[in-house]
Amino acid sequence: MIWKIAQREFLLNLMTFKFVVGAVACAVLTAVFMPILAADYRQRLETYSADVARNEAELRSVKVYRNITPTVYRPPAVLSAFSGGLEKQLVGEAKIELDQVPELTVTERKGNPYLPVLSVCDESLIFKIVVSVLALLVAYDAIAGEREQGTLRLILSGVTARRQVLLGKLLAGMMTLGVPVIIAFVTALVILLRSPSVALGGAEWARLGLMFLASLGFTLVMYQVGLLFSCLAHRSAASMVLGLFAWILFAIVVPNAGVHLATRLRPLGPQEEKDSRIEAIRESLAQELGAVKVDYSAVERFQKSGDGDAFGGWYEKLIDQGWLDAERRDNASAVPIRVRYADRLWDVEHQALAAFFRQRSLANWLCRISPISTYENVMALLAGTDLTSFQHFIDRVRAHRSQMVEYIRQKTDNFSSASFLAGCTEQDAAEATRLFQQEEQAQDDAGKASIKDTRETWWKRKMAQTTPPLGLQDFPWFQYRPSLARDLQQAVPDLLGLVVANVVLFGMCLAAFARYDVR
Amino acid sequence: MIRRIACKEVIENLVSLRFSLSLLLIVSLFAVCGYVSADGYRELSRDYWTRTNENLGALRGQAGALYRVAFYGQEIYRKPKLLSICAEGDEKSLPNFFRVTAFTADLPRVKGRASSALFQFSSLDWVLIISLILSFAAMMFTYDSICGEKEDGTLRLVLANTIPRHQVLLGKYLGAMITVTIPLVAGMLVSLIIVLSSREVFFDAAAWSRSLSIACLSLLYLSLFVLLGLVVSSRTGRSANAMAILLLVWVASVILLPSLCGIVFEISHREPAAAEPKPGDGLWQWSLQARNEPTPAELQRRLAEVAKEMWDNNEKFGKHAGYMSNDVNDPGNNPPARARLQNAVTEARNEVLEDYHNRLLAQAFGRRNWACLSPAVVYQRAAEALAGTGIHRCVRLYRQVKRYGADLKEFVRSQDLEDPRSLHLIGPENSMAVSWRAISHNPVDFDVIPKFQEQDFTLGESLRLAVLDIGLLLLLNLGLFAGAFLSFLRYDVR
Repeated sequence: MIWKIAQREFLLNLMTFKFVVGAVACAVLTAVFMPILAADYRQRLETYSADVARNEAELRSVKVYRNITPTVYRPPAVLSAFSGGLEKQLVGEAKIELDQVPELTVTERKGNPYLPVLSVCDESLIFKIVVSVLALLVAYDAIAGEREQGTLRLILSGVTARRQVLLGKLLAGMMTLGVPVIIAFVTALVILLRSPSVALGGAEWARLGLMFLASLGFTLVMYQVGLLFSCLAHRSAASMVLGLFAWILFAIVVPNAGVHLATRLRPLGPQEEKDSRIEAIRESLAQELGAVKVDYSAVERFQKSGDGDAFGGWYEKLIDQGWLDAERRDNASAVPIRVRYADRLWDVEHQALAAFFRQRSLANWLCRISPISTYENVMALLAGTDLTSFQHFIDRVRAHRSQMVEYIRQKTDNFSSASFLAGCTEQDAAEATRLFQQEEQAQDDAGKASIKDTRETWWKRKMAQTTPPLGLQDFPWFQYRPSLARDLQQAVPDLLGLVVANVVLFGMCLAAFARYDVR
Repeated sequence: MIRRIACKEVIENLVSLRFSLSLLLIVSLFAVCGYVSADGYRELSRDYWTRTNENLGALRGQAGALYRVAFYGQEIYRKPKLLSICAEGDEKSLPNFFRVTAFTADLPRVKGRASSALFQFSSLDWVLIISLILSFAAMMFTYDSICGEKEDGTLRLVLANTIPRHQVLLGKYLGAMITVTIPLVAGMLVSLIIVLSSREVFFDAAAWSRSLSIACLSLLYLSLFVLLGLVVSSRTGRSANAMAILLLVWVASVILLPSLCGIVFEISHREPAAAEPKPGDGLWQWSLQARNEPTPAELQRRLAEVAKEMWDNNEKFGKHAGYMSNDVNDPGNNPPARARLQNAVTEARNEVLEDYHNRLLAQAFGRRNWACLSPAVVYQRAAEALAGTGIHRCVRLYRQVKRYGADLKEFVRSQDLEDPRSLHLIGPENSMAVSWRAISHNPVDFDVIPKFQEQDFTLGESLRLAVLDIGLLLLLNLGLFAGAFLSFLRYDVR
């Protein structure tokens, strides 16, 4: 019996005007959105690849260890076309340096400050807005409309139980709304896959499958909201008005109010406080560095010449022994201090960020009243574009940085070897010093001049040679892959939330319909 | 007769469920908006005044020597505006910090406690409530005004009398407009009362007239949706169908279109990132000054290029312009040439900054113009202009800050003339002023130093900025009215 009701209802729904308009709108909007979103993804991917290639080329050409300061980039998520999340608002890159630990920046934006913060544009927007309205429109007259037409009486005068009728309606709603959801997903996928830069792996297909299920679950929640109002209201017009106002609440009021409430309940501290703490740490760093006394006066002759290196750095191409020794002593004590202070500075940044995360999670919790916000959350988590994915990225970057610091430490004997700052070998440095000393010790002017000549020719010849790059055979290259398991784990509460909302709403519908006056 | 129909419509609407629901929702939102903005305004004002006083205190500290006043980078913050309750116009993400010396002004920057990542929508203000929620309510009042009456059979009765159709249409339009005005006015009043009853907040006459003009603008915008409802209602036979079409149009024009236009603009205007100056290409040493601050690579490169060009040809400003030692009597020094060179370098730098800033603005305005396909965006822009907030105000503020820098330079020049021991060479090199006494070291009276004072838009200027958008809304209104009129004339009442 349930099946029969569902079938009849499904066919009736298919032939309604509102369904046709809604389904066509979904298909057309997807067909308009997707090529644009795919082009956007392609552009971002190109920028990303160019950035990564440039960094790799620079890394391969770096000549001394202190200049290894690459920037690593977060690859754009393929599924950002389905849910943009925060991909455009947060900065997905980090510079790896010895004296700074990368951290997420949430308060500063890159680029043109006059451009407004983009309101996100993605496929899930169509679901959030169009499909959810369609669900309400399909549901609003499911009960109240039948009462107005008098058919509800006829059905209930038979042996059919009320819960069977309701279940049939639910099933019909699921089937009806499944049509636009499937149309939109298939259209989106076809357009996305036609774009040459898009390649979907197994993990992406799993994510897509879950997104599809989440979309169905969300649509069903919205349908049941409409059904509940239909069971509560006597007239279908009233149920529609109630449903649409609920929609306005869910789509516009709750997400805004949640964010505002969260900023009021857990305000961020003023930036000056953080700045002053950072300033204090910098001062004590300067003090400690000032305490590192390296006697440069012992260096007899300050002889060195350098050149530009990769990443805007500078390296010493040729340097004499005394200078080199002084620099090495300096680096051996100063660089570890810098590395240590980098962690302390990061600590301050991290604490400030923790306040932001607390605010954000409160906002998320408050917004979960609205199924639309919950759905948005799930989609962003599954697409790998929400805040936690950026956190994950920056965690990996930090791990990469410590690996790299360790690598440089090992390679340069605790930052003290010549290769940390100079492109020449120790022998060259010793040779330079030897020639100098010879020149100084020469007895007469003629001997001095001849040795000076030899020295200068030698120096010129050495300078003309190109310094070979480090090569970095065993360098720990940065690898980043978004982890499906982690994202899933994050998405489970929201997914469960959608299921629970469905069950609860159905219970409420049952209760309301059981007491419904069919006259 | 029109009045009678309008009256009937209003009364019928007033007793309907949708009216009470929307009144409740809208008035409570306006109340929340008033509360939130008054609080936010207080907080922002406090921050603003502390920072401004800190800046003035620091400036007073520099008054011991004239040259220090000239070189001191004053920190000027954007003043929070009470009228941002009406239209905040992305003020949270727009630049609010300007640093200026007598010689140059940095590019505007964003500083403060707001975090952009948390705001999906723009801030809660009147414009948000009106453009999203009241417009929706306006549609709800008219979706069944024609076809609903047809379904009830009352339309036949009305038209069977001698009333011409246009009177019926006008009556319905007026009735719906009056119904929409009630929650609008009630909401605005509630939020104004809340704002005005809180401490530290004053509304002057200009603010009143501005909020009044925003109310009129809002009515114009809402009339658009009332008319849209009438058009669709008089082209469909069933009210449920009218609702479906209206919802789609509303969603598309108010929510989807602005986002879509934004991303289309982004794709069509994405520029390849320029590489930072590198040691190899000869620009590196000239870009060091720009490296201390977060400067985009492209700007770094251009600044380095002009600096390099100037310094490479420094001899054309006079002999030894490129040389400087601290002893003014050193014959290698040529103070006037040096000052000419430094002034020319700064001027060239300022030009590059200005050019870059203009490009940023062109991009932002281009983006705004793209988005104006959506009436909600048009309305938002006009409201922003009328409230005197948003991007126009930022641009104007930056211009004023730069003019203030020029005024300060003039002031330094005139004060400097009174000191016989100064070389009277007003140039942007600090060491020149310190060791050569190129600018006077005499103390100045703090009270005569010009202070920065922002000049707001006058109402006339605001109106001029908004006039195009208002015209656009009017045109849309007229078009829709004509559409409603034509389709109702041909409406089949059976």
